[in-house]
Amino acid sequence: MAELLILLTIGLPWLGALFCWAAGDRHPRLQHGLAVAFSLAAGIAALLLIPFGKDQVLITLSVGGAFGNFTFSPDGLGVFLAAVATVIGSLAVIFSVDYMRSEDQLGRYYAFVLFFIGAMVGLVLTTNLLLMFAFWEITALTSYALISFHNDDLKAVAGGIKALIITQFGGLGLLIGALVLFANTGSYDILTIIANPGILPAGALAWMAFGCLAAGAAKSAQFPFQTWLPDAMEAPTPVSALIHAATMVNAGVYLLARFFPAFEGVPGWREAVMAVGMLSALLAAVMAIFATDLKRVLAYSTVSQLGYMVYAVGAGGIFAAQFHLLSHSVFKALLFLGAGAVIHSVGTRDMRQMGGLGKNMPFVRLVFVIGALALAGLPVLNGFWSKELILEAGLAHGNPLWMLFVMLVVSGLTAFYSFRMVWLVFYGQPRAELHAHDAGPAMKVALAPLAIGTLTTWLLAGSFSRLLSESLPAHQIAAHSTGEILLEVLTAPITLIALLVIALGLVCWWQRDRLAGVKRALTGLQITATNSFGFEAVNRAVVLGAQNSAEKLRSTQTGVLGWNVAYLVIALIGVLAILLLGVGLP
Amino acid sequence: MTISIPTAVLIIVLGLVGIGIYALLTTRHLIKVIVALQLLVKGAMLALVLAGHLTGQDDLGQSLAITVIIADTIVAVIGMALAVQVRRVVGTLDLRSLTSLRR
Repeated sequence: MAELLILLTIGLPWLGALFCWAAGDRHPRLQHGLAVAFSLAAGIAALLLIPFGKDQVLITLSVGGAFGNFTFSPDGLGVFLAAVATVIGSLAVIFSVDYMRSEDQLGRYYAFVLFFIGAMVGLVLTTNLLLMFAFWEITALTSYALISFHNDDLKAVAGGIKALIITQFGGLGLLIGALVLFANTGSYDILTIIANPGILPAGALAWMAFGCLAAGAAKSAQFPFQTWLPDAMEAPTPVSALIHAATMVNAGVYLLARFFPAFEGVPGWREAVMAVGMLSALLAAVMAIFATDLKRVLAYSTVSQLGYMVYAVGAGGIFAAQFHLLSHSVFKALLFLGAGAVIHSVGTRDMRQMGGLGKNMPFVRLVFVIGALALAGLPVLNGFWSKELILEAGLAHGNPLWMLFVMLVVSGLTAFYSFRMVWLVFYGQPRAELHAHDAGPAMKVALAPLAIGTLTTWLLAGSFSRLLSESLPAHQIAAHSTGEILLEVLTAPITLIALLVIALGLVCWWQRDRLAGVKRALTGLQITATNSFGFEAVNRAVVLGAQNSAEKLRSTQTGVLGWNVAYLVIALIGVLAILLLGVGLP
Repeated sequence: MTISIPTAVLIIVLGLVGIGIYALLTTRHLIKVIVALQLLVKGAMLALVLAGHLTGQDDLGQSLAITVIIADTIVAVIGMALAVQVRRVVGTLDLRSLTSLRR
């Protein structure tokens, strides 16, 4: 039964992708219907799979000695993320029915969205590192194709290529990790290395650990790779909600959490992970405060919240990280789809032109405010509980306190920019002549479950912790009931401090007129932040350097057969020399 | 001094591959390039048979060699057809005249 469900969760979206593509762009209604049907079916299959969660390999595809067996296992991390990918995927597809109504080439759009959903499920369910790498790259490819969906728009094409290059760079880290594992153990099996990291020599394990950190940071848009995510906002908004908020960017956090038991002993790894998460959370939150593009604010807040999760993994709070991942997927998908409804309605993404839109779109305002409150981490909403759990994890295990202090400051910044965003879009006086209308029916159908989820998913804390603790023995996650977790959060002193910081952030926004002097003092910071703290300059320098060196190397491309053969022979001699000298891999 | 059969075969392999690479490096005539490629691949083929014999898998090495023969024949045929077209279009079989990458 579970075997069938795994195959269905991966296979149904891929089948749907084929059908949507084959249906042809002259039948848009059929394409909408097929995409919704297949994504919903995959979502149901993934939800049915959750009760089967256990750490056991259920499907083994034998593909010969070179690659090891392609194995799939429905453990807690896997089934949970598969459910997030398919359920939010189906909601994004439903939302697209309204959002993409007047677009051409729906076949390409839906085929890539569904192809992505299937690949994401495969990525989280497989236990073969090489196969995981393959799925990893498929998600990067579909992300690129969907960012550049409007391929007559130069910014969209540039954003797509940027995302592709930066995530490929991280993908190399994962490939190095996989090859190091294979070179030392002769297999790509993830479960073996997690259960017994001692089978790798310490040096090799460090290579693998930091390779995976690079891969995870690039995929989750963490420091220093965070620059691709804001530019990825040129994608259609349902894609931003699905790929760049709720699922693909979580793959990095998933990877780090999955391998945590194997890597936690590597000297410096946990500290490096925490530092990456902390820096991402801080820098992105500052950039979100100064951004004026609605989707870019959401993108920066995604980087910032992912920073919280990465920090939590480094701090040893696997459950907290995954629980915040669940909360964030739901409320950020809600925020993005709400933003999509606003952008679809008024035709601009610039918040300086919005304002007072709430009167014309009360439903969108309601759900958007719910999402923003969860993002700010206010009580009862799901973001509150998971963020407090992360801060608590930062306090435990003798983690450095100054990092926790930075994370507390970031939670205040988060509250500040959440309220700024809501206020600029929905309240105050209209600043431009915009004709706003409320969301369409399919949009509402997609937004309502997410809003309800934002209000309620924290009730799942107990069953979620039980699922993880039962199916991930190596991670040593303690199972608690919902009541115990909630009580623990409510009685922790850090919760009170965090709430005070959040309230301080709110007061700062409320009293922004009186703080005008502070704002002037921060002009320098504003300029640095809008220039992405110099990271864009680094990117441009790298691109320019690559182009210049390519131009210089051009003279080696003679096109003369004799020279090409000579290069081949020289390379062959090099390989033979390496083999003869027996230079060992790490 | 006696030379065992595998050693002799290995010498022939190295000879064929060496002649092939040398010819590829030096010749500028398209037909000669195709001939050189044939020599090179024949050497590789012989190496497959030899490797199969040395590892006790004669059948595997020989069936791989047959596969290579088929692929190689196609390469030769298409190469020759291309040479005919090149002669017709460009008017010469000199490889230097085919170079278009250089600025």
